[in-house]
Amino acid sequence: MKRITGMLVCLLLFGFTAIFAQDIQIRGTVTASEDGSALPGVYVKIKGTNAGTATDFEGKFQLTVASNATLVFSSIGYKDQEVALAGQSVLDVVLEQDVTQVDEVVVTALGITREKKSLGYATQEVTGDEISTVKSSNFINSLSGKVAGVNVKANGNMGGSTNIIIRGSKSLTGNNQALFVIDGVPVDNSNTNNAGQRTGRSGYDYGNAAADINPNDIESINILKGAAASALYGARAANGVVIITTKKGAAKQNKALGVSINSNVTWSKIDKSTFPEYQDQFGGGYGPFYSGGAHPGLEEFDLDGDGTDDLVVPFYEDASYGEKFDPSLMVYQWDAMVPESPNYGKKTPWVASKNGPDKFFETGVTLTNGIDINGGSDKSSFRLAYTNFDQKGIMPNSKLIKNNITFNGSYNVMPNLKISASANYVNTKGKGRNSTGYSDNIMTSFRQWYQVNVDMDMLEELYAKTGRNVTWNPTYYDDPVPLYWDSPYWVRFKNYQTDERNRLIGYVQADWKATDWLSFMGRVAVDTYSELQEERKAVGSVAGELGVDRPDVTSGYSRYDRTYLETNMDLMANFRKDLTDKININGLLGVNIRNQKVDRVFASTNGGLSVPDVYALSNSIDPMLPPDELNSTVAMNGYFGSLSLGYNNMLFLDGTYRIDQSSTLPSGNWTYGYPSVSGSFLFSELVDANWLQLGKLRLNYAEVGNDAPWASTSDVYDPVAPFAGNPMVSVPITKNNADLKPERTKSIEAGLELSFLQGRAGIDLALYKQNTINQILPVTISLATGYSSKYINAGEIENKGVELQLTGTPVKLNEFAWDITVNWAKNVNKVVELKEGITNLQLGSLQGGITINARVGEPYGTIQGTDFQYVNGQRLVRANGYYRRSTTSDKVIGNINPDWTGGVLNAFTYKNLRFSFLIDIQHGGDLFSLDQWYGQATGLYKESVANNDLGNPVRNQVYTDYGDATTPMLDNPGGIINEGVYADGTTNTLRVEGGDYRFKGYVYWPNSVYIYDASYVKLREVVLTYNLPSQLMAKTFMSAASVSFVGSNLWIMSKNLPYADPEASQSSGNIQGWQGGTLPATRNFGISLNVQF
Amino acid sequence: MKKKYLILLVLAAFFAACTDNFEDYNTDKKNPAIVAGESLFSNAEKSLSDHMSSSNVNVNVLKLFAQYWTETTYTDEANYDLINRGIPQQVFRDFYRGLLRDFQEATKIITETPATSAIGETEKQNKLAIIDLLVCYSYQQLVDIFGNVPYTEAMDVENVAPAYDDAATIYADLIDRVNAALTQLDDAQGSFGTADLIYSGDVAAWKKFGNSLKIKLGIGLADYDGGTLAKATVESAVAGAFGGIGDGAFFPYQTSSPNYNPLYDDLVTSGRNDFVAANTIVDIMNALQDPRRWAYFEEMAEGGFIGGVYGSTSPYALYSHLSDALHQPTLLGLFITYDQVLFYLAEGAARGYSVGGTEEELYNAAITASFELWGVPADSITSYLANPDVAWATAPGTWQEKIGTQAWLAFYARGLEGYTSWRRLDFPILNMPESITEYNEIPKRYTYPVNEQTLNKESWQAASDAIGGDEMVTPLFWDTAQPVPTK
Repeated sequence: MKRITGMLVCLLLFGFTAIFAQDIQIRGTVTASEDGSALPGVYVKIKGTNAGTATDFEGKFQLTVASNATLVFSSIGYKDQEVALAGQSVLDVVLEQDVTQVDEVVVTALGITREKKSLGYATQEVTGDEISTVKSSNFINSLSGKVAGVNVKANGNMGGSTNIIIRGSKSLTGNNQALFVIDGVPVDNSNTNNAGQRTGRSGYDYGNAAADINPNDIESINILKGAAASALYGARAANGVVIITTKKGAAKQNKALGVSINSNVTWSKIDKSTFPEYQDQFGGGYGPFYSGGAHPGLEEFDLDGDGTDDLVVPFYEDASYGEKFDPSLMVYQWDAMVPESPNYGKKTPWVASKNGPDKFFETGVTLTNGIDINGGSDKSSFRLAYTNFDQKGIMPNSKLIKNNITFNGSYNVMPNLKISASANYVNTKGKGRNSTGYSDNIMTSFRQWYQVNVDMDMLEELYAKTGRNVTWNPTYYDDPVPLYWDSPYWVRFKNYQTDERNRLIGYVQADWKATDWLSFMGRVAVDTYSELQEERKAVGSVAGELGVDRPDVTSGYSRYDRTYLETNMDLMANFRKDLTDKININGLLGVNIRNQKVDRVFASTNGGLSVPDVYALSNSIDPMLPPDELNSTVAMNGYFGSLSLGYNNMLFLDGTYRIDQSSTLPSGNWTYGYPSVSGSFLFSELVDANWLQLGKLRLNYAEVGNDAPWASTSDVYDPVAPFAGNPMVSVPITKNNADLKPERTKSIEAGLELSFLQGRAGIDLALYKQNTINQILPVTISLATGYSSKYINAGEIENKGVELQLTGTPVKLNEFAWDITVNWAKNVNKVVELKEGITNLQLGSLQGGITINARVGEPYGTIQGTDFQYVNGQRLVRANGYYRRSTTSDKVIGNINPDWTGGVLNAFTYKNLRFSFLIDIQHGGDLFSLDQWYGQATGLYKESVANNDLGNPVRNQVYTDYGDATTPMLDNPGGIINEGVYADGTTNTLRVEGGDYRFKGYVYWPNSVYIYDASYVKLREVVLTYNLPSQLMAKTFMSAASVSFVGSNLWIMSKNLPYADPEASQSSGNIQGWQGGTLPATRNFGISLNVQF
Repeated sequence: MKKKYLILLVLAAFFAACTDNFEDYNTDKKNPAIVAGESLFSNAEKSLSDHMSSSNVNVNVLKLFAQYWTETTYTDEANYDLINRGIPQQVFRDFYRGLLRDFQEATKIITETPATSAIGETEKQNKLAIIDLLVCYSYQQLVDIFGNVPYTEAMDVENVAPAYDDAATIYADLIDRVNAALTQLDDAQGSFGTADLIYSGDVAAWKKFGNSLKIKLGIGLADYDGGTLAKATVESAVAGAFGGIGDGAFFPYQTSSPNYNPLYDDLVTSGRNDFVAANTIVDIMNALQDPRRWAYFEEMAEGGFIGGVYGSTSPYALYSHLSDALHQPTLLGLFITYDQVLFYLAEGAARGYSVGGTEEELYNAAITASFELWGVPADSITSYLANPDVAWATAPGTWQEKIGTQAWLAFYARGLEGYTSWRRLDFPILNMPESITEYNEIPKRYTYPVNEQTLNKESWQAASDAIGGDEMVTPLFWDTAQPVPTK
């Protein structure tokens, strides 16, 4: 590490030295040949260097260069033009349109730049602006809807993890997330959320590690979707690669430093369409069960001792199927039991609360401020940038702060030897992240278990006054201890978590151009971070899961320390040679040595905290449980080569081969190789049609291997806490396997690219099929074997799909342009085989009796649970009028995969104004709503007071003796007749009561009823940018400035899931399709200022 | 030339950096690869006790099924709902994957570890016999919960589709194994020492346990196949079985987590109020003026004991809570107790077995031992036994009703034993819960784990057919008596 730091210091010094070299200043204007209009954004580069500038909105540029330099002008859609200065100081350049547009250069695997036309596989580019304009705590969110075939799912948690799947899930139980590579360096994207968090039990979403990447540093992103594109990366790239190229320094006019400042403020408000709409007619309780009098939904006893019975709310219940509100009824509510309450000892009117849970949320505010300093000379360049991201979430006492410093620089030590280095330090601090999942989550209460008579303001007031856990849900009128739910304010201000991650990503690289056809690259890269996650539960809380083995405790503290280190050493030789006029070859040979080390300890107090408010392991009441320790080391040696052959700029053929040696496989099997071959054919070269500028066919075949999870080839024992001095151990639940073989993905892909109407319209179509076979998986086996699972090589998943990108410029006038981009993708996923005799692999088991599975013949991610029982296609009803549900929970009731996803981006440019909006669409895919499963049984939602088939309020009592169908029916009965038949086939005619917890939801209804279509259409982003005119700028010290009004997630235009965002989930990972206790989505409005000096 | 050397040097450095001690990289250094069999045995003993003691609704709901307790607000399990929480799967997990796996591994390691002396060899044989006794004890529970279960083909990771064995055959084999273990036990030497958390390695105590287990197994077969094997088994074990309350097998829970009684988690640290006394037991005890009520439950503030209507919503404040004794972290885990053995012997006597006493003597002794176990003052025993509804001569009904009622009362808080006693003797009369969702009679067994249907389908199908359908109302092979009348 010391060496890298030293190198950085040198580069920094060299960089500044270079800037103060003496040169001449030139300026000029660039115009377009077709109409003479000024061309903004033309890249002006000093030939032989990376230094340069770009034209402003009037096509003007200024640059300081050596007087004998040659300038290269380039702009997409135009042919490059070189101009030798020869002493000129004013240059007016006219660029000719390049109607073929085939010279686009993209960054491919291992950082190799290639002409896009020569590629035989699909890639798609996104510019830095497209993902940095709208600020988000996780830049991956900004990819949603912008790339065909990339499925991005932001789950809505503050600083939460984002799921990114390219072309469908390929691994049954392994990682399916895309690989992130910055400037050739793989960047860790671990999700450290524990298993309980990912399966919706409890815990916090600590995000995925790729969220550390600062969008302000991104120049462009190129997405390698298929195996052929990523084969050179080896195993870990089987899921596709997101290649990020960061901004670099460039020479500026007047020898000055290029300085730009970016400032953004965003306000977030909850989207009411993703929050419950509560009923306001009935208060706390589960039904009319609490007393026998006129008000059976309330308890009746003499509480104040005046000799007459009082009405008391059953506030120990967390539901709203209680007594009908009536302002003339005076009742003792929870706040009458609290001495500090203004209502202490008082009866208050029985009415719905005016201050419901929506009052709990605050306006989120996110400030993002960045400064970017860069500069360079013909020999060197550097960029230094700092960004501060400061987010206050919508829940009280929440905060997420990121500080990101990045430096990169390059220096040409000799004309043919360049040394470059980069360092990116990221510090992330979180406080008060929202709880996720079923247990111990305020949102679970708001969405599932609540009394609509509870006043949020009173809860806030009483917490502020007392500092105690004053809850609406005490155990009983004489026992203030919270029963199921703490005061939400207590939870936010006492039981908050904190976390911090310090990370350094950097590399040192040398590029040596040995001859004009042969070059070498050597690079040493490191990605390392340490993180600490601390969770707290204050003395006096409701028991909740915390710490090692996650027992329920009423107080406690846990800390999770994890350090990660990955080093990559790469050595590559590149060659490029024209064999004849028409035939050229290029290729590479390389070695990659990767080492990965994870060291983690998870420890917690046991049995509670001795001294309140001291959050330390030493403050444990009982001796600590054995900490969960892991120290994993993985090494991988990769040897690879590629050869590309081009013929006459028309036919290109690529072949790659990589051999990996992986430490996670058994010795006989740890070396494995895999090939790829791809070709492209530019048939437009043969067609002389005016309207067709580019026509290209692509075809490729690739295989990629993958190794095993660490330490899955030999068995160890699980330590258990000792008992009275006796050591105890247990046999682990998974049997490891000393004979594992590498798994393999085989893929075939074809594509068509067309560009026509002088580049005004373009099509990129890709078809692919990928099969992952011999998967290494801990297959679930009968528990009667003594194990839950054993590692085997088995299973096959197939992904087939279509991706389509359409680009067009429907209108292009002198000062106005309308651009439209459409992305559309459909992936069909199928579990082909698991293992002989096994037809189902359970990926996760979640609250509500739901499992997420890989089932043979079905798409990956079937949602399984209970369904109705059927008689001749009709639902079976029991004699008591309620449904009979299936006796097993293995019915396939949904699947998590969308039918298709898409995005439509429209951009309008008029003079200095640019307006764009992105519509993001997911069609199909299912999810199970735990919120509705429970919430419909607790009577929170407004449907629970709707009118029934007879037009009567559904909660009207049906029978004289409540619920007893043998007693006479009352006038205007509520309730419903469940549609279906009895076992003998006759139709059910029995009306059941609608006034208690059995009416809907989990008690009598099957899971299948609470499966929802996860489709959505969202107005994802709206951006209005005004670039201040350069005439104006000329009079200031600024060289360019713009102001943007940005909005994100402004409007969910269409969805089928009530009261929640269908994208919301507990975590990224393979377990999706289940939702419970999620935060409401936010609408975000912001203003951005960009100033360049 | 210099350049070439430089290149060679760089290349050499690179290949030197290539790693080849891959096996070391792939070794888990934080967890042991070699352990003592004793540490697996200790853990398995605790796992077994934990499972039986727990009332966690995801783990063990038999205290509800036996209708000792009912649930306050969330009444699914009291209504015999096993599906919602996948409880049968948890039973397989706790037994096969948990304690049986650890017992098996302990057996393997102890067998493979050579003894260094003759005494050591005897101790080793004692250890193996003790493990086998507990394995037999565990398998009887599995059979009593499900009926046919995987047995001869179970516990083999190479056979992922183990067949289910006939329950009666398993019983017979368990009796053989207990006999073999008893022969193998040599109380001239010790065994596990302190690693045995139940008897501290006392082989004589384990011999009594083995004989008591034989009685438990034998009596289980009383209504099956003419009861021949039952009679022989019980009679051969009487002499060697428990002779006093102190002989019972108890698990000594500690004061602190995670070594306290799991019930402490369910009732105290969870902070929840999920359980109250069920009216089924409270009504019977009230009628009998049973002095054990204060040991089992907490008296209402206004005096007396009220049980929640079994299976119906029962607000916590309105019904009798569980006793203070059950809220203690060190509450003993109960394996087999003396009163339990005496009830079996009383039943044996009633069936005409030669068990060293009359049914009345043994019945009175069993009730007395139960009072002792729960620490009920001795003076109250005499008056209780004199109660005409308790006294052998005058208590109503058949011997099944007399013993059935009293055994069920004595087995309080031991869910499986209470539920089994009721299933075998059909007394007392339990309540049909109002909200039971799937059946029209009180269930008599657990359905098999759903996992077995997907992972071991053919074996599951064969077992389902063999027992008469994988339904909760299918009676087990030993449950041959008339259908149970319900209130």
